[in-house]
Amino acid sequence: MAQINENGVENTVTINDNVETIKSKKRKATFTWYIFLLPSFIGILLFMAYPIVESFRLSFFKSNGTIESFIGLRNFQLVLTSKTFWNTVWNTFFIGFFQIFITIPLGFIFASLINSVRRGQNFFKVVYFLPNVTSIVAAAMIFQFVLHPEMGVANYALNAIGLPTSTWFSDPSTAKWGVILLAVWHWIGFVIIICLANLQAISPEMYEAAKIDGASGLQQWLFITIPNMSGTFAFLLITGWIGSLQRFNEVYVLGGPNGSPARSIQTMGAFIYERGFTGFEFGIASAATYIMFVIILIFTFINLRVSRMQL
Amino acid sequence: MKQVKSVWLMLLFALVITVLTVGCSSDDTAGDDGSETNEDAVEGDWDGQTIKVQLIGDFDLEDSTDPITGETTQGLQVIKDEFESQHPGATVEFIIMPWEGYTEKTQAMITSGEADVYQMPGIADFAAQGVVEPLEPYIEEDPDFDLDRFIDNQVDGWKALGPDSDELGIYGLPFLGDARFIAYDKQLFDEWGVEYLSEYPTMDEVTEKAKQMTGENPVTGEKNYGIWFRGDWSSAFTLINLAEGQNGSWGSGFAWDEIEFNFDSPEMVSGLEWLLEMQEYAPDGLVSDQGSEKWLTPDNDIAIMLNQGPGDTIMSAYAQGLGDRIAIAQEFKNDEGVGGMFAGSPITMAKDSENKDLAWEWMKFATSETVQQYIFEEANGMPAIQAAETWDSYAKVENLMDPTMEAMSTPWTPRYPWASSQPRFILTSEVEAALTGERSAQEAVEKAQVESEEWLENRN
Repeated sequence: MAQINENGVENTVTINDNVETIKSKKRKATFTWYIFLLPSFIGILLFMAYPIVESFRLSFFKSNGTIESFIGLRNFQLVLTSKTFWNTVWNTFFIGFFQIFITIPLGFIFASLINSVRRGQNFFKVVYFLPNVTSIVAAAMIFQFVLHPEMGVANYALNAIGLPTSTWFSDPSTAKWGVILLAVWHWIGFVIIICLANLQAISPEMYEAAKIDGASGLQQWLFITIPNMSGTFAFLLITGWIGSLQRFNEVYVLGGPNGSPARSIQTMGAFIYERGFTGFEFGIASAATYIMFVIILIFTFINLRVSRMQL
Repeated sequence: MKQVKSVWLMLLFALVITVLTVGCSSDDTAGDDGSETNEDAVEGDWDGQTIKVQLIGDFDLEDSTDPITGETTQGLQVIKDEFESQHPGATVEFIIMPWEGYTEKTQAMITSGEADVYQMPGIADFAAQGVVEPLEPYIEEDPDFDLDRFIDNQVDGWKALGPDSDELGIYGLPFLGDARFIAYDKQLFDEWGVEYLSEYPTMDEVTEKAKQMTGENPVTGEKNYGIWFRGDWSSAFTLINLAEGQNGSWGSGFAWDEIEFNFDSPEMVSGLEWLLEMQEYAPDGLVSDQGSEKWLTPDNDIAIMLNQGPGDTIMSAYAQGLGDRIAIAQEFKNDEGVGGMFAGSPITMAKDSENKDLAWEWMKFATSETVQQYIFEEANGMPAIQAAETWDSYAKVENLMDPTMEAMSTPWTPRYPWASSQPRFILTSEVEAALTGERSAQEAVEKAQVESEEWLENRN
């Protein structure tokens, strides 16, 4: 680039080839980070994207893993007309509804109580959070003993206070409640911690102003705390439902792939496992997986609209 | 400065990739047992040949201590050393997998050609896929090999249909034996003053004795139960055996397009009604596999246990000091002396094995006395060969092993072809529905029949 100075002499500005421009430096830096991203990106492609596409392809085939034949939409038809599948949908929603309906309010109440005590908050946080740290598989095995018809702590306690006992996992009507109890016990620690985080973020000035206006503790809780928790409740609702609709581990431990007794605790995930991995019906399992995906998608969309949660 | 930082980042990245590459790459110089391939192997007929052998269950490569008996057991290394010394130049590598999810893991392995020899309980499904080698040509051409070495019915039990064949053929050799039988506690029988079960008990005999031993034990004062059976996972097989005991059957056929179910037969209905009656003499919880926690302990409170297996019974009984207290009777047999679920594991050769001759050598070796004795004495498994009856280790546990060998020679063969397919789960769920009062016995088996037939129709 040439410029004329005040003496009428032409100034020539040349760019040394060895000098890096800011633009090229930025390009290089970006390139470096792309290289860092590459291994995880390849992993995502291989272990997430490919299985999703392959599963979709399989859903149109009758396949036992090695021998395949194209059957179009027949797998979807079989699953959608299967009473067993709709029974698993019912079980999944039943267990999920009561888990969420019980855990979120109960967890919020516990969180409020913990938040209101002056000493020992950390102790209570740890104690209540411990179940959530425990593996759900291990917890399910322990709950088999807790809810044992003859030796279980639950029946012992019920008997001690004069209430009728149950055979729990040996009765289709109570087996679901056994799973709900386990799910509530396991999830409540998480709910408490999330609620506590929100509770501690509510401005103290609001409570001070309410006190000056003469609001009681209950009124403060009802009209300041709860409205300020709406975002947290929405988050717990959405994540809780997604987790509930994917439920598999604990029902597999408690009732096997066919959700004993009499398929009373078989969930959609267990149905997929039963047809795919015990019966070599990978096409049906894949079709059921996509139907489950659509159910979760629709239900989550409804939840988002109902809770007015911003993503 | 930034350029220097960038160079360091690149170096760090290169280091991470190198570590990952080295860590994740297969090591051709090491077996799956972690031991290095014997590069100094003696040159011989098998020079440079390697076979990979997949095994399922509680096998250990190294010596270990048994958690039940407390005794030190030898690892598979001794078997590997023995085979390699008999076949100079050959190398054996073991791939051990747990029982959990073995079917899908085997499917994945055989699809990707991971091993040459497989332990394969679900042989019928795999033979139909054409992924395992038919063994008749090897058996016929090998003068050193005789099928008479196996316990009666073991070879027939594992016969399967190939992808294009109409007749059952040999695709696997019996490797691990297994059986189902009725076990009982002689001490409880003595305390109640009840005569022991006969060698081949009938349903009426079991009913009568189970009734007599339910209630307060006249000697200990403890609550006793006359009978227990698992009401969930294996209940379909318990019911099928009851039908067999009445000269009924589960149905007929082996290929899917030939199968016919008899789930709603009169024998199945009366079998399920019998189970409902027996439930009254059992502890609560058998539908969820509960109530039998004291079995095989000195505090046992159950007299008769239906549908038991040797792996969970024999060595466990001896480990608890109950070897003489526990006894075994046969499952219900039909008028021809046949009945009970055929179980165990055969070994098979992968169709795409590159060292089939060596694989065959391994299969012969695995069914020889050397390996079968190792399985019995070191790996808590049941042998599949008749020679077991001559071993000293067998003599020590003879009172439980004799009836087990009898049970292994008289099951229903070939293995129920639907044993790991949807009809099994349909029937299991309906047995559970009956046991939990959801349906009557008649309604339950009729529903199982209809659903199984619908499934079969859609499958074919």
